[in-house]
Amino acid sequence: MTIGISSITLAHDHDLVAARQRARQIATTLGFDAQDQTRIATVVSETARNVIRYAKSGKIEFGIAPGDVALLVITVTDRGPGIADLEMILAGKYVSKSGMGIGITGARRLMDDFQITSSSDNGTTVRMSKIIPRRGGIRPDDIERISRELVRQTPQSPLDELADQNTHLLKALADLQDRQSELEGLNQELEDTNRGVLALYAELDEKAVSLRRADTLKTRFLSDMGHEFRTPVNSILALTRLLDEADLSAQARKQVSLIRRAAEDLESLLSDLLDLAKIEAGKVDVRETAFEVNNLFSALRGMLRPLLLNRSVALIFEDTEGFPPMVSDEGKISQILRNFISNALKFTEAGEIRVSASLSDDSRFVTFSVADTGIGIAPEDQERIFEEFTQIDGPLQRRQKGTGLGLPLTRKLAALLGGTVRVESLPGIGSTFFASLPVQVGDTGKMEEMPEGTRPESGRSNRILIIDDDETARYTLGSFASRPGIELFEAENGLDGIEVARREKPDLIMLDLMMPGIGGHEVLERLKDDPQTASIPVVMITSRFINEDERHQILGRASRVIYKGDLSRELVTSVIDEAVKG
Amino acid sequence: MQRIPILKMGPYLLVSIQVDMDDRTAMALQDDLMEQIVRHRARGVLIDISALDVVDSFIGRMLADTAAMARVLDADTVVVGMQPSVAITLVELGLALTGVRSALNIERGMDLLRSRIEGPGIADGHHEE
Repeated sequence: MTIGISSITLAHDHDLVAARQRARQIATTLGFDAQDQTRIATVVSETARNVIRYAKSGKIEFGIAPGDVALLVITVTDRGPGIADLEMILAGKYVSKSGMGIGITGARRLMDDFQITSSSDNGTTVRMSKIIPRRGGIRPDDIERISRELVRQTPQSPLDELADQNTHLLKALADLQDRQSELEGLNQELEDTNRGVLALYAELDEKAVSLRRADTLKTRFLSDMGHEFRTPVNSILALTRLLDEADLSAQARKQVSLIRRAAEDLESLLSDLLDLAKIEAGKVDVRETAFEVNNLFSALRGMLRPLLLNRSVALIFEDTEGFPPMVSDEGKISQILRNFISNALKFTEAGEIRVSASLSDDSRFVTFSVADTGIGIAPEDQERIFEEFTQIDGPLQRRQKGTGLGLPLTRKLAALLGGTVRVESLPGIGSTFFASLPVQVGDTGKMEEMPEGTRPESGRSNRILIIDDDETARYTLGSFASRPGIELFEAENGLDGIEVARREKPDLIMLDLMMPGIGGHEVLERLKDDPQTASIPVVMITSRFINEDERHQILGRASRVIYKGDLSRELVTSVIDEAVKG
Repeated sequence: MQRIPILKMGPYLLVSIQVDMDDRTAMALQDDLMEQIVRHRARGVLIDISALDVVDSFIGRMLADTAAMARVLDADTVVVGMQPSVAITLVELGLALTGVRSALNIERGMDLLRSRIEGPGIADGHHEE
């Protein structure tokens, strides 16, 4: 039994030195005398050299076979090609160029036992031993102590230090490589993230496009639905007006007035909605007139007084005497202030609402303000209230109805006039809404001129033709128009209308723009192209908003455009009178 | 790779091997020595191996070859300070180191070299006196 105490891998020249030094050290430790130490070291040197020279690599193991007569056992193994002429070498007949042959044969003489086996398959193994000169031999227990002593003695040669440093360097290099690959990994990750961000950007772009599309759709929807709603609402309004004239019981009259008020509320909501939609669609024109702020205020005062139901709130318009006249769209400014004031009225339970105007230093802007002593608006909500359909949650707010369209509309209207709106507010103290508007609005619109309608023949009763596909509309219009001296004709589509016009030669044709089959435009075209009907004035009636181009196109041939929502007995009467009398 | 220093002392080169050489160091020493012999026109080489406690067949062969080469370059070589155990081992190995002169220590080695190189000259000079 052999117990290993040390081993060395043999691959390089310096391993040879290490091996023979280790051999010497072990021999010393085990108590061999100087001569034997040299012998053992020399033998190890010879055999280890063989491994390095011929087999490139192998290993040397030192072991102890304990016992009463203990042995130092040295085994040198390699996986090389084997020694071809081992017999010759051992017989001392081989002459090596580097003195090797002598080495092996000599080695046999230096050790107590020397066995060498070699084959081309399994390489070469040299197993040699020498009796350890120690009285009483060596017990297995002693071997551990010997090993420890060996480790303690192992000298640190410069070469070992170099090898150590080399190892450290290699480790540092490996660390660096690790660090580098880590960096590369990070870089890769960053690139991936970058790509991700780019992809997100693209996605956001797409989202933005689809949002814009959705916004356009919303505007169109608002516009279209507004008009769809407006037709029946107009009908209800017109019919309730008619009913007002009828002979009704007090109770029925009350009911009719309630219906009418509800319809009016609905109509005002619809117009807010439509105004908003129109502005968003860029379909609103600024109608520029010169006016006095004072007049504007007094008109507003008249208009809003009736809304002031709460006695504990005072509505005060400050004096604006001496203001320069403004050149702007009075109607829109009035709309802005109405919105501000009705808002203030809604949220003020006691105190006052003060409407005032001030001129900027350079006299270019007028800032209208509506200050209330109401509930106020929390700072975080002050911007939000200008967004569509926003209503702040609160007890007073919940009591109030509204679409949340008023303030967004004021903002859009102000922008249209080249101005801005803003709010200053302290919750619990009150709010002040400001609208800063230019005194002179840009030359964006013109006063509309009324084209001269052709004069109808006189001397007989006035014959009116109503062309409209909607029965309610025909009925309403007919009712407004009907009075002594008026003869009414109705047609429910364009073709019939043209037919009746040719046959009856009416004094005035009231033509609906939107009709199934041939529409108002084409009917107007045909009427004007036909010499028989060309001279008959036509009033275009529409529930749909029409833009400036369309209006111009229509006014080229028709004498007037009237919105269905504006229809009233007075208007219809004046239109008829105008057309008939010229 | 380690190099063994070679000292010039008059017409002699002095090499003191203080480390356990691996084979390449040994071969480099041999090359260096030949080069120095030529450069300094050295007449004798003294190699001190007193620090070596192992001289195996390779080192032994190197020493013998060095002595032979130096001889060709007209320089004598003396190996000095070989430890007894090394000498015994060398003989046991079967390596006789023929052709290598040896001396017990540096002093004897120098004497040997001097007598070999200057001997006839000194004798002549002595006659002239």
